[in-house]
Amino acid sequence: MMPSSDWLDLRGWVERLVGWSMDGLHDALPSGDIDLQATISLPKGIWPQDIVIGPIFDLQKEFSAMQPGLEALFNATIVCTIVFTTLMITMLPIPYIERKFIGRLMDRLGATTTLRSLWVGESGVTAGEWWNQLPFGMGAPIGWLNRLLNSIWGNDHPLETVSRVNNRSYHGYWFLLPGFFQAFADFTKFAGKEHIVPKDADKVVFEVAPVIIISTTVLVFAFIPFGPHFYIASPELSAIFMLAVFGVAPLGVFFAGWSSNNKYTLIGGMRSAAQLTAYEIPLLITVLGVCVLSGSFNIIEIVDFQISEGDIWNIFMMPLGAALFLITMIAEVERIPFDMPEAEAELVEGWWTEYGGLRWGFMFMAEYMRSFAACILFALFFLGGWEAPFQGSLESMPLVGGILETLFSIIPGIAWVLGKAWLLFAVFVWIRASLHRVRTDQILEFGWRWLLPLSIANLALAIFLRVWVWDSGWGSVWIWDSGWGLFAPIAMMLTGVAGFAILVFDEDKEALETMRRPYSTYIPGRAPAKASPGIHSDSEARS
Amino acid sequence: MGPQHPMTHGLWTLKVKVDGETVIDTEPDLGYIHRGVEKIGEARDFTQFTTYCDRLCYASANTWSHSYIYAVEDLLEVEVPERAEYIRLIAVELQRIASHLMWLGAYGPDTGNLSIMVWCLREREMMMDLLQELGGSRMHYNFPRVGGVKRDLPHGFAQRARAKVSLFLDRIQEYEALFDESTIFLIRTQGVGHAKPEEMVNHGVSGPNLRAGGVNYDVRRAHPYSVYSELDWEPPVERPSIKGADCYDRYRVRVEEMRISALMVLEALEKIPRGADTYHEPGDPAIIAKAPSRAPEGTSGFHHFEDSRGESMFYLAGGGEARGKHPYRVSIRSPMFLTIPYASKCMVGYKVADIPAIMGSFDPCIGETDR
Repeated sequence: MMPSSDWLDLRGWVERLVGWSMDGLHDALPSGDIDLQATISLPKGIWPQDIVIGPIFDLQKEFSAMQPGLEALFNATIVCTIVFTTLMITMLPIPYIERKFIGRLMDRLGATTTLRSLWVGESGVTAGEWWNQLPFGMGAPIGWLNRLLNSIWGNDHPLETVSRVNNRSYHGYWFLLPGFFQAFADFTKFAGKEHIVPKDADKVVFEVAPVIIISTTVLVFAFIPFGPHFYIASPELSAIFMLAVFGVAPLGVFFAGWSSNNKYTLIGGMRSAAQLTAYEIPLLITVLGVCVLSGSFNIIEIVDFQISEGDIWNIFMMPLGAALFLITMIAEVERIPFDMPEAEAELVEGWWTEYGGLRWGFMFMAEYMRSFAACILFALFFLGGWEAPFQGSLESMPLVGGILETLFSIIPGIAWVLGKAWLLFAVFVWIRASLHRVRTDQILEFGWRWLLPLSIANLALAIFLRVWVWDSGWGSVWIWDSGWGLFAPIAMMLTGVAGFAILVFDEDKEALETMRRPYSTYIPGRAPAKASPGIHSDSEARS
Repeated sequence: MGPQHPMTHGLWTLKVKVDGETVIDTEPDLGYIHRGVEKIGEARDFTQFTTYCDRLCYASANTWSHSYIYAVEDLLEVEVPERAEYIRLIAVELQRIASHLMWLGAYGPDTGNLSIMVWCLREREMMMDLLQELGGSRMHYNFPRVGGVKRDLPHGFAQRARAKVSLFLDRIQEYEALFDESTIFLIRTQGVGHAKPEEMVNHGVSGPNLRAGGVNYDVRRAHPYSVYSELDWEPPVERPSIKGADCYDRYRVRVEEMRISALMVLEALEKIPRGADTYHEPGDPAIIAKAPSRAPEGTSGFHHFEDSRGESMFYLAGGGEARGKHPYRVSIRSPMFLTIPYASKCMVGYKVADIPAIMGSFDPCIGETDR
């Protein structure tokens, strides 16, 4: 398997830079022996011989012995610093996406017009026509597009209330990305707050729990590559290592819930532990399926498989696996609909309740980092990592193929990874805005009755694909070699689409009738309203 | 849980005994914001006390002040002009929509969804704008007067009200799409918090909570006051299961009630005498009748009224201080005061996570409960 590559060769650059500077240092050192010896001659009566003190140095030789170790140390330090800085900077859009996107979904515009309004503006008020401020009239097409869209689907409402409520405040400078720097303001607020430990809390555990949560969360990113050469560490079993570290944080959550000496935090911590048993096993089995299909436990090799050997993204090979991974990852990062540990309706703020100040801020950041990690992992495992969408097909197009190839070679892999991750986070936010919170017993039931069997089926599918389609005889004989290269993925996709269509369109009317609640709101003397959907445990109606 | 807890929707305490996550016993503890409103009423004359009635419930001010005004009119034996009755009906039904929107908006976070809250507050804003045009303020309108209303419908009110209410009728479908088509919402609310109709009647639960249990009792229909009998409407009633009404039934009945109220407003705008576009100056006999300001000793006024949360009642005894200008006694019957203890009983046997879902579905309002 040819490892994929791009020009952003961070590790190579750092290695060369460190090697060059170390060599320079080596050369700058004085060559040859340095005689630091001093001879003391005492009167013969006291001491018969001369006393020699001090060594003879060869600095260059000594340095050469230390150089590999020093280079490795500096390499690791610099790469770690750069990657973690990149992580922190690229994480800033995550709370921004959460705020803006959920604001659009929830507020003001209703369900149908939300996405469009991100660019178009509302009520004919288009955030100050910011495109006119772009140099050289570059924004004119945006203005045309905007006016066109507004004239067709514009949200300018004749009612002044609707218009007033629809109209959002505008911060004056589009290039400041209104609201983007709110995260800094929030962090400053957290940093300035007092640290309070509850009176009867278990103080040691109370202080240790945030450390466990935050440190393991940051450690996860040590194994997540942003690009083919943009990573900190890539051991052979990085996927397993990473998931093991990922799974430590719920332990810290349980510690935090227990040590705070508060009924809400205790229930929240217990729920976190209970939830862990429901989703962790399906998550691991799903990732195992990915590893089996890709033939490696190394994340970079998993991406390389999708780019070169498999030549197809895993999401097309395992749509079920992708859905399972998404669901279990949402449960892992404790977002709606699986955020029972911090269910604010009944548990105030769940296990967070007693924390405040900087610790709360850091844990909140860790929470978003976990979401970010989940999004990046989905991009790496299922969306081809640092490959552009349909890169191979686009590059082989007759006319524009060459141009696109050049274009793709200019864009570094990290851009694709981050773009996919941010897009996926928008999906997380979308889910949050449209779903309710389930109960603990319901997620346990869901985890054991649905996720676990489905993940095992997914694993069986991965084994089938790996053994019979890629590795073994009949796959290569009568699928690949006879020009049926796309047979397997197309068949998989068709099966998935057919199943989806069956579920969506082909409703069994009779079965639905039995599922319907026999009772619904009715108005005496008028035709009955449509029956309410859903299943009910006791289906006999009281007339 | 409480007095400061997201579940409470107000200021009260629910003592919950749990076994793991299962609720085995509950005990409500009310009275944190008791203000002695009934006693205050004995020291105010009839027009002054309307403002206090507005403040009985923050989400549903108009219904409470109207409830009181009807009792005063019974006490003073005043005939209200028909046009004023129609204006009152419009105000009360708009208030009912706003109150139910507040409830629906609060019920989303109770079950974990924040979107619906913002959507509902958005639509509530339209209703509050309409009420502001009538009453002059956003929350506590002090709109009704003894014998009529403070002001006629302003110019252009009918057109704006029609547009907003029709828009609202469209938007109800969005709420239903978000709630009824969400499996998670269904499994969270169906089969949870069963309330038996017989028990509800015995405990004095009324209003939408009772109609969710299949009991077709709506004061507007059973004992018509105002001009409700002249409009073409029926109260929505849910057919519950044998176990009783669950949270989903209570949700459905309120959504249908919002729809009925919206249609009622539209119909009232059509049927209002002399048309909705004519305007009378304040004090015109078409919208306010002359009323005496003193009630002699021995008289009494009573009215029961379909509040947003159930049946509210006012009892007034005449012949108080200032030679009958003040009532001798004011007694308020709050629907939620009777519902909250029963709702607390409904939670036994369900999970801790169901507590907000069950309590929220009964739509508690603590202002009127503690009075």
